[in-house]
Amino acid sequence: MDLLGQILINGILLGGLYAVMALGLALVWGVLNIVNLAHGAFIMLGAYVSWYLYTYASIDPFLGLPITAVVMFAVGYAVQRGLLNLIIRAPMFNTLLITFGLEVVLTYLAQLAFSADFRTINPAYAGNSIALGPVVLPVARLLAFGVAIVLTVGMWLFLLHTRLGRAIRATAQNLVAARLYGVEPRHLYAMTFGIGIALAGMAGGLYGTVSQINPYIGAALTAKSFAISIIGGLDNPLGVIVGGLFLGILESLTALYVGSTYADVASFGVLVLVLIVRPNGLLGKAA
Amino acid sequence: MKALRIALTLAALAVLAAVPWFGSDVLIQFGINALLLAVLAQGWNIIGGYTGYASFGNSVFYGLGSYGVAIAMVQWQLPFGVGLVFGVALAAAFAVLLGVPVLRLRGHYFAIATLALAQVMTAIVSNVKLAGRNIGLVLPPLNNDPLFYELSLGLLVLATLTIFWLTRSRFGFGLIAIRENEEGAAVMGVNTTLYKTLAFALSGIFSALAGGIHAYWVTFIDPESAFDISLNVKMIIMAVFGGPGTILGPVVGAFSLSAISEFLSSEITSLAGLFFGVVIVAAVVLMPRGLADMLRRFRKMGWRYFAENIRTHRL
Amino acid sequence: MTAILEIQHVTRRFSGLVAVDDVNFILQRGEILGVIGPNGAGKTTLVSLISGTLTPSSGDILFEGRSLAGVHAYRRARLGIGRTFQIMRPFPGLSVLDNVAVGALFGRGGGQVQLAQAREQARAQLDFVGLGRNVDQRADELGSPSRKRLELAKALAMQPKVLLCDEVMAGLNLVEIEEVIAVIQKVRDAGISVLVIEHVIKAIKSLSDRLLVLHHGEKIADGEPGSVLANQAVIEAYLGKRRT
Repeated sequence: MDLLGQILINGILLGGLYAVMALGLALVWGVLNIVNLAHGAFIMLGAYVSWYLYTYASIDPFLGLPITAVVMFAVGYAVQRGLLNLIIRAPMFNTLLITFGLEVVLTYLAQLAFSADFRTINPAYAGNSIALGPVVLPVARLLAFGVAIVLTVGMWLFLLHTRLGRAIRATAQNLVAARLYGVEPRHLYAMTFGIGIALAGMAGGLYGTVSQINPYIGAALTAKSFAISIIGGLDNPLGVIVGGLFLGILESLTALYVGSTYADVASFGVLVLVLIVRPNGLLGKAA
Repeated sequence: MKALRIALTLAALAVLAAVPWFGSDVLIQFGINALLLAVLAQGWNIIGGYTGYASFGNSVFYGLGSYGVAIAMVQWQLPFGVGLVFGVALAAAFAVLLGVPVLRLRGHYFAIATLALAQVMTAIVSNVKLAGRNIGLVLPPLNNDPLFYELSLGLLVLATLTIFWLTRSRFGFGLIAIRENEEGAAVMGVNTTLYKTLAFALSGIFSALAGGIHAYWVTFIDPESAFDISLNVKMIIMAVFGGPGTILGPVVGAFSLSAISEFLSSEITSLAGLFFGVVIVAAVVLMPRGLADMLRRFRKMGWRYFAENIRTHRL
Repeated sequence: MTAILEIQHVTRRFSGLVAVDDVNFILQRGEILGVIGPNGAGKTTLVSLISGTLTPSSGDILFEGRSLAGVHAYRRARLGIGRTFQIMRPFPGLSVLDNVAVGALFGRGGGQVQLAQAREQARAQLDFVGLGRNVDQRADELGSPSRKRLELAKALAMQPKVLLCDEVMAGLNLVEIEEVIAVIQKVRDAGISVLVIEHVIKAIKSLSDRLLVLHHGEKIADGEPGSVLANQAVIEAYLGKRRT
């Protein structure tokens, strides 16, 4: 019973991290209709940025998240404005293909720049845990969970209650109307994508504190982020929390009762099932 | 003009077939890789180019074909031919069982679903004892590169002839109709579910055959290499670069991109993968309809062709 | 005359909105039945229910005496139900000829037909509707009136027994409307039963053998065109109730 409780806690903590991983993807997809197959590569880059800040400037990974965010925002803005913007009005397949290619490019560039070695971000307190009754909460994971929830809820509030957030949603729904309101669409698209990538970068920073990073983690993280977004549903910004928690708990339980190598099988199996049975996700409308 | 085109194609075919006699070992090996990639591109062409369902996970079939041959030969001591048939059967079964639900998804959801399936196969196969788990299997060695070369060439010819037949058959017409307007096709009598699944299975069968030949040739497979996800990148970009929905486009794309990649990687090794990524990005922006379209329109429009493509698609 | 199509108590709901409400009528063999009604009356929904793109929430549709329940759209096409679309659906990348050839390949005569034969049949249908000169053009290069004829030709190539025309006259000028009327009459004379949805009242009055009026999903009139159009309820549906 205690073990089950621990597994559930692990799942929930993991779920928080999953939520923020998928947040940027869901934002860009739901709002800009850009399906970014390179999302995981940006998470990977963010992780490396955090690692550099920690290793060469001794900046704590959690406190350094804003810096990572700013750097990745700039990257995202540039990528959208300079590249993705050129194919926005092309068929969706072109977006899939170009981001697919981008993922390859980013992975190889990372391999050249950072070498293929595994790295971790290991602040001194990372190994500690807090005991809470029968369960143990690893500090790093707990902090990651906390930041993740803050970011996710913050993004939701941002989209619903700030001027910029509303402008982003308006542009997504009606490009012409947005223009009439004085919004410059290219700038707005680039800003939105920049925010999405900043979120991915921060997720990477968090990821680096709980797991190893190397240039090749991008593809798996992309797939996982898609699973989270789709399972939770894209219509509601809080969907990623539902999707993240669901998958986090599912994977932890699967690892315990079936075997750790089956965790991925469970996740993607559920993804395929959701796509078939309820493509709008758990929080979305029934198809 | 048509007779000239046929003559040229036959001549090219003859030259290709003769390579094992006058080519170096390195050339033959390059040839095998390029030919198998061309088969993958043609396979993708069937479901992506002609039917309009862009699968991002055809590597699944390649892996199933590889393991089909490996399991048959290593675990059951069956000959290579039987292994190939087994691999094909696995691929076809997979295409039908998972294709029917997944093909109901539109556009990018289908792409994501196939991507997810591809991701998960590595994990599943790593747990199967018969497949050697994540250690993989070692096949009986056969040191006969020219044989593998001719086999690969034969497979490519078969794939290309199949596509040629598609363009002239009722089945192929149905696929194109589905691509152009699926609901319109359905109300005109096309059994879209059946046709899509058949196209998916057909593309999977070719991928499986390529995987089977490759497995026997390299003598060793494990889940990572058999279900290599980067193959999806390659086969799609080769088909799209050469011209999706054309008979020879993917072949041209495969050969040209392989050649350039080979040249680059002989100069700077790890750049081959980077090269493909850059080519995809550039091609999608500058020539989204492939090489065939570019060559045709470039004659009329010159460099403006690229600017036009950007202008119509940018925000 | 026998009924080729029977609509029995057909209702279709879309989460709360009743688009088609307990509609009953018959399409006789060899007749032209006009269907009119204000916007949103449920006319296109009705056609989609007959062609199989949508399934009824309740009720049944009989074709040649047999129920179409559970019969997919593509099978209905092969049985002989053809339709044109109000929002036209050509196959954009294909030539005009090949667009129609799809109908010949997969429609009622389809199973045994070879591609070359299908193209011949397509040519004939295109001549029939007056697009003989455009056979090699790309479908998306056609202007709107020609696209409507293409829709007709595609449906006809399927050798239908029943043709459902969804607003083929929308956006046409008087001359073009006359031409379309002539084509539909030719279609009827060739033995095909036609159901025509239209907004152009004058045109449909002269074309139809019988007239059906839908309003808010319900059938409010059914009969000879002259008497239907003089019907008080019909006039009110279009013009609104008179204030007394």
